[in-house]
Amino acid sequence: MNEARQKFSLEFMRIVVVIVLALLLGFVITAMVSSDPVDAYRELLTGPLPKITINDNGDWQLRGINRFGNWLEDSITLTLLGLSIAIVFKARQFSLGAEGQLTLGALGAGIVSLYIPAPFVIHIGLALLVAGFFGYIWGLIPGALKAYLNADEIVSTLMLNIIAIQLYQFILTRYLKDPTAGYVGTEFFPESAILPVVIPGTRVTIALFIAIIAIVAVWFLMSRTPLGYEIRMLGANRRFAEYGGINAKRVIALSMGLSGILAGLAGAHLSMGLLKQLTLTLSPNIGFEGIVVAMLARNDPKFVPVAALFYGYLRTGAQIMERSSDVTREMVLVIQAIIILFITAERIVPLVQGWWLHRQSPEAILDSAEAKG
Amino acid sequence: MTFETVLASIFSAAFIATIIRASTPIILPAMGGLISELAGVINIALEGIMLTAAFFGVVVGALGPEWLPGLPVWVYPWLGALVGVLAGLILTLIIAFFHLELGADVILAALAINILASGGTVFIMFALTGDKGSTSTLASPAMPSIIIPFVGSIPVVGQIFNGENLTGYNIITYAAFLSVALVWLFLYRTRLGTHLRAVGENPVAAASVGIDVKRVQYIALLMSGFLAALGGINLSMGYLTLFQTNMTAGRGYIALAAVFLGNRNPLGTLIAALIFGAAGALEAQLGTLNIPSQLITMIPPIVTIAALVIYNVRRQAQMAANARKFQEKMESEHKVV
Amino acid sequence: MPQLVDMRNIIKVYPNGVVANRDVNFSVERGEIHALVGENGAGKSTLMKIVYGLEQPTSGSIIFNGRPVKLQSPHQAIDFGIGMVHQNFMLIPSFTIAQNIVLGHEPVKGRLLDTKAAIRITEQLAQEYGLDVDPTAKVEATPVGMRQRVEILKTLYRGADLLILDEPTAVLTPQETDDLFDAVRRLVAQGKTVIFITHKLIEVKEISDRVTVMRHGEVTGRVQTAEVSEEDIARMMVGRDVLFRIEKPRQQRGEVVVQVKGLSYVSPTGRPLLRDVSFQIHRGEILGIAGVEGNGQTQLAEVLSGLQPPTTGEATIGGQSVLGRGPRHVRQAGVAHIPEDRLTNGVALEADIADNLVVDRYYRSPFARRGAMSLRQVRRHAEQLMQKFDIRAAGAEALMGSLSGGNMQKVIIAREFSADPVLLIAAQPTRGVDIGASEFVRRQLVEERNKGKAVLLISADLAELLTLADRIAVLYKGEIVALFRSRPDLSEEELGLYMLGLKRQLPEQRE
Repeated sequence: MNEARQKFSLEFMRIVVVIVLALLLGFVITAMVSSDPVDAYRELLTGPLPKITINDNGDWQLRGINRFGNWLEDSITLTLLGLSIAIVFKARQFSLGAEGQLTLGALGAGIVSLYIPAPFVIHIGLALLVAGFFGYIWGLIPGALKAYLNADEIVSTLMLNIIAIQLYQFILTRYLKDPTAGYVGTEFFPESAILPVVIPGTRVTIALFIAIIAIVAVWFLMSRTPLGYEIRMLGANRRFAEYGGINAKRVIALSMGLSGILAGLAGAHLSMGLLKQLTLTLSPNIGFEGIVVAMLARNDPKFVPVAALFYGYLRTGAQIMERSSDVTREMVLVIQAIIILFITAERIVPLVQGWWLHRQSPEAILDSAEAKG
Repeated sequence: MTFETVLASIFSAAFIATIIRASTPIILPAMGGLISELAGVINIALEGIMLTAAFFGVVVGALGPEWLPGLPVWVYPWLGALVGVLAGLILTLIIAFFHLELGADVILAALAINILASGGTVFIMFALTGDKGSTSTLASPAMPSIIIPFVGSIPVVGQIFNGENLTGYNIITYAAFLSVALVWLFLYRTRLGTHLRAVGENPVAAASVGIDVKRVQYIALLMSGFLAALGGINLSMGYLTLFQTNMTAGRGYIALAAVFLGNRNPLGTLIAALIFGAAGALEAQLGTLNIPSQLITMIPPIVTIAALVIYNVRRQAQMAANARKFQEKMESEHKVV
Repeated sequence: MPQLVDMRNIIKVYPNGVVANRDVNFSVERGEIHALVGENGAGKSTLMKIVYGLEQPTSGSIIFNGRPVKLQSPHQAIDFGIGMVHQNFMLIPSFTIAQNIVLGHEPVKGRLLDTKAAIRITEQLAQEYGLDVDPTAKVEATPVGMRQRVEILKTLYRGADLLILDEPTAVLTPQETDDLFDAVRRLVAQGKTVIFITHKLIEVKEISDRVTVMRHGEVTGRVQTAEVSEEDIARMMVGRDVLFRIEKPRQQRGEVVVQVKGLSYVSPTGRPLLRDVSFQIHRGEILGIAGVEGNGQTQLAEVLSGLQPPTTGEATIGGQSVLGRGPRHVRQAGVAHIPEDRLTNGVALEADIADNLVVDRYYRSPFARRGAMSLRQVRRHAEQLMQKFDIRAAGAEALMGSLSGGNMQKVIIAREFSADPVLLIAAQPTRGVDIGASEFVRRQLVEERNKGKAVLLISADLAELLTLADRIAVLYKGEIVALFRSRPDLSEEELGLYMLGLKRQLPEQRE
């Protein structure tokens, strides 16, 4: 256990170092294009925090609550997507399909919201259910193709993304579009289908609780259910899992299906919480963001919200930076890329250790081998 | 427009010209994807490499006269293309280095590059032009077009060979079709190409006869980056002469799909890329007929998934048939004994 | 005759502490066919990897052609004229035979490959050495025998004078084996030297000039083949150095609980690995399976544990048919399995001990109730088993990968024994295990038998089988060729004759 703790702290240190490194590199890049990089970076790093101002009379005022809200809203999306990817990674599979699952989830939520009249709580529940179900199907398809036909899941999820987005836009423009609107988008959802706001002045809705429930549910699934056990064993050693009697194919398909549910719910959060309607583009390129969150959290559901809050903070900060400086928010994508590159580079730690440690003599290696044996 | 006129336009020489133009930025990255896939290092960063090359091509092509005044005018587009390709190669080198030297997952590394490209291009574009949508404020040059002499006056042939307006195809379109032949020649008729396929199929066996697996994979990735970059240049310095945010619009992924649909060989990949190009061309044509473009855009991915399914179903059936055959053989053998 | 290779005092200790060669002296004369025999794990592969530059010895020296050499890589070995034909072929399936032969050293014309020259070279080599191949056929479409000839031609194309053939006949039919032997003799006639690794003694007698026998990392014999009998070689190979005593009370044999009928298994590549295997096991009985490695033992364990579906035949446990529906079904019918390849199949190194101990039962009460798993129960279960089976680790949450080999073994045994099986399949349970742990495993197996379990013990260690088993079946080429009741006068030599295919019982002689 000591060993496990040591490994944990090493991992933690590594992630912190990578993040600091990425932020530093980001600053260097900012400095190259910005007339006032320090100010831009300050906005990036402190922007999302609400600010308290105290006037001469001693009254205090809370400002920037909507920025704070943006941070939480984004972190909810990222949490759901991060959990989605964490499940797949834990099963040692791959999925680039979150974008498609999210899009169809939003579509499902939108259809229920607009066309199935129902009273308040039931309406939301039904819409969430359909969103999750659409995501599930869109995850199960590549999962089953991989498990039973050995079809490459990278290509299939990428293709399913394109299909999902085109399908979404087709249905939207053809059937759901509000003809009176000057743009491609539906009418606003009825009140009964809009997620109620929990922090006034923001768009932080009960999706916050959905995200919390999802964290607990995924944590419970992974560590407290037979299916979670199967997913973990599949990821640890597929041959061992099969030897023990686990149906690996079924678990592969299911793990990708379950991951789809979470991405579908993220879609519901976007449409029923943030946009309150369906628009032609939902949140471009959000699909891959779950990967960096899952990687930062080391696929552990407990740490997914931490990673999501961190990364959501950066994303929100970047938007604020864009508004108040001459640096665009895309800077944060550069930081994200650097983080992914350095976290996935497994041999960096041994390489660094190699530089530090002196070469051991062959005798010493023999001795330690014998001591171990 | 009536159905007939659309039909007529589809079966026209001009439409073939459109397909050729639309296929170019799929063929090139697909050839690149093919090379890296055959070397056992799948490159899903074709998209990001294209985007980056497209961007730097435009920027250097447009700002070249400002930075390096006095050169002949025709030099600047070539300079732009050169820098665009170099930028694409640098990104590829990052993937190769992280994967081959630092043990990074090749898919995650490539994903990071895609993210870097989509963010980095906008970031720099804004810094240079103050615009986040496109470089339309820059006057950027196009790569030259080539008009094949003498055929212009022949009715249909002229349009096929020199484009619908008889203005010729961009030089990169020629490069795309030439690349298919060259890639074929490289893969099947050169030492390095043979080593590359050997490495992808059985790296241990390749290493056992003295082939440097890592070196071959470096080269394969860099070649894929080069070809994808050319595809990007075609987007921003060919028919269009500007860079738009995310202008690759998934072509890098579609190119990867073409590799799989094309059964991982140059000719099949070319055919798949042409089919995808045709779907793109059709999309534009059918828009006028009130057939939703989205349904056409769905064709390439659906075909690709269907191909994946059919391929694997057939392979499983074949394996089952083999087993049956051997079983029967054994049983008859057994009776004799 | 001059020595071509002379390896002196070779010691090889792997980083994980396994001692593969202990002070081995091995020499080959120019122009001879030298057989190197020994059971799996005897150290012959390691020795050959050292000659081929794939491994470096911990200590010792190699003299090649009269000069001391250091072989750091296969590349260097090739330059010295050493070629190796690996047991699993190093070929590119989609390439033609000619392409495979010249791979890495292709003839070119200008900058392009000279395909015709490659074919010509292949044809010339094939003719010169009498190794018939079709240069333009793709490897994936050629039979195994031809693939092997391709491998030999590959080494010859690279100028090999010394050819190391690693168990070359393991995958061949008798006819192909004859062809191979003809080819080997021709090679030697043309001045080549051949090291022939095998454990089939008939072949040793047939093909070799001299034999070196290895056991447990040491050389146990070096003789002129003509001067010894197969039985002599067998004695050197299997030896009798394990002295262990196990208290084994008289068998209380119960009713038949395991019925295996007409089992056969054909590999995906089409090789029949089990042929019409039938046997019964009674309650309270250990049935031993003897056989030289590679005669179907691995497949027997995999089919009976549900990991591979049988091609034909069936097995019943307590009258219930169990095969064809996967390992879960087999386990539920009461089969436990100590797998042969324990590190890859028997444990998940990245998971903790507690998780490793429940892989066959996590979904049942008390571990899972109403869809939820009880971590407390999983841990308690682990702690109990760790105590009972003396598993030494930091705790139930320690990662499997942090355990020593012996303790990993105990985790598997703890799990499989505690499953309270009707049938326990133990595949090579003491291989790679130190003496103390082997004792423990053997005692446990006997105890299970005494409790009335049926045990199928697959072992390459004949002394172990003779001590533990109540009956011993001998597998040869996937077939049961003999079935003995264990008795004091049954000798290893006698079993060896059946294992090596020199003798076979008539069906009515089976006991």
